[in-house]
Amino acid sequence: MDAIREALSWLFIVPGALLCVTGGIGLLRLPDFYARMHAAGVTDTLGTALVLVGLMLQPADWTVTVKLAVILFFLYVTSPTAAHALIHAAYTSGHRPEFAKDAPLPREVESR
Amino acid sequence: MKNHVILRVVTKLLIPYILLYAFYVQWHGDYGPGGGFQAGVIFAAGIILYALVFGLQAAEDAIHPRVVHAGVAAGLLLYLAVGVVALLLGGNFLDYDAFGHHGQHHGILLVETGVFITVASVMVTIFYSFAELVRSD
Amino acid sequence: MIGEQLIGVILLALLALTAITIARLRNLLATAMLSGIFSLLGACWMLFLDAPDVAFTEAAVGAGISTILILATLCVVGADEKQVQESPLALLVVLVAGGVLVYGTLDMPRFGDPNAPAHQSLVTQAYLYSANAPAEHRETQPSRDAHELETFAVGIPNTVTTVLASFRGYDTMGETAVIFTAGLGVVVILGGARHRRFEPSETVDITPSDERPEA
Repeated sequence: MDAIREALSWLFIVPGALLCVTGGIGLLRLPDFYARMHAAGVTDTLGTALVLVGLMLQPADWTVTVKLAVILFFLYVTSPTAAHALIHAAYTSGHRPEFAKDAPLPREVESR
Repeated sequence: MKNHVILRVVTKLLIPYILLYAFYVQWHGDYGPGGGFQAGVIFAAGIILYALVFGLQAAEDAIHPRVVHAGVAAGLLLYLAVGVVALLLGGNFLDYDAFGHHGQHHGILLVETGVFITVASVMVTIFYSFAELVRSD
Repeated sequence: MIGEQLIGVILLALLALTAITIARLRNLLATAMLSGIFSLLGACWMLFLDAPDVAFTEAAVGAGISTILILATLCVVGADEKQVQESPLALLVVLVAGGVLVYGTLDMPRFGDPNAPAHQSLVTQAYLYSANAPAEHRETQPSRDAHELETFAVGIPNTVTTVLASFRGYDTMGETAVIFTAGLGVVVILGGARHRRFEPSETVDITPSDERPEA
């Protein structure tokens, strides 16, 4: 039983770690701010989530599992919000993606 | 921040948990990592997050600067009061054994509460002061 | 074991890299963010050394509050550092001071050495004992072997809390007073900026009163 749990746990941790590495590479290599934020978002959400789920399956005290679940919940709420806030701030301050350099300013900026 | 709907909703969701966590750190400090200092900083972080997202005015309406200013002194006074009460009960200054059987527990809890109040108030005070400077410009 | 050492080396290398980057940057906004990252790495390092209390403080204060307070300050004063002429003398002073510090560590016991004075001292043993002995213990069953240590029994599992708030209550009181003074200073200098702004016509006369011309 423990062996199955262990195997299942690594089945989650390894893809999670791979996704984190992918996110890191993307953060360095992608062309503009928005694409990089996309890469960071992958690390923040799916990468860490898989690693945390994998750790939850590791045989340990049940309190650890609960704590990890709470951490997972807060990460899932805060990380996308932080990414959204960053991108929103960049867009309203006039930063434009590589492929849409002439996109119009949003209304809220024009009205200021 | 008027247009950050997502940010406002998520902040509203998170702030109760941040404040609750501060109290957990405060009163669980006897058994796990944490204590008054960390709890005070976390509590202040919750207030500052509220001020950042909903505006300084909203935060000052919730917790008036005068209350915060009073807290700066109240925490330290509570700490000193614990020491003086220990003196009056016949012990040394800050000797919690004077409080009876579980004196150490109660003394540490009271003292940590004092640290909590001072630290949280000072952090919020510093933030309010700087934020008011920016607003009045 | 090797893996654990590798984590330590990587964390310290990242800390050093962040510190060098902070020293070289001229944009204070980026410096503020990097100092937050530095604190977070420092917290990881403290956790790696099994000091969760310190790690907790570092993460909450260094990475959380102080970053926000620095950013708030930068909002007031602007985010560009003044250009200064870098002198080779400064580098020399830093290198010599750093070298002396590193030389000083050579005399210290190895990390985690059980025979280190810090671990052998009666004070440390008393602190550790206080954490393990319940409060009832010293009144009902005084054990003869540890009779000297009995007086230290507090019965609070977290030794750090016990030491900070009970054994070293004076120190913590001083610390609280320091924080109080910091808050007081900020209130005195900046507080009430909203209420007491000087009007342009309302200038302050700073000449001593006995040198003022009779009005």
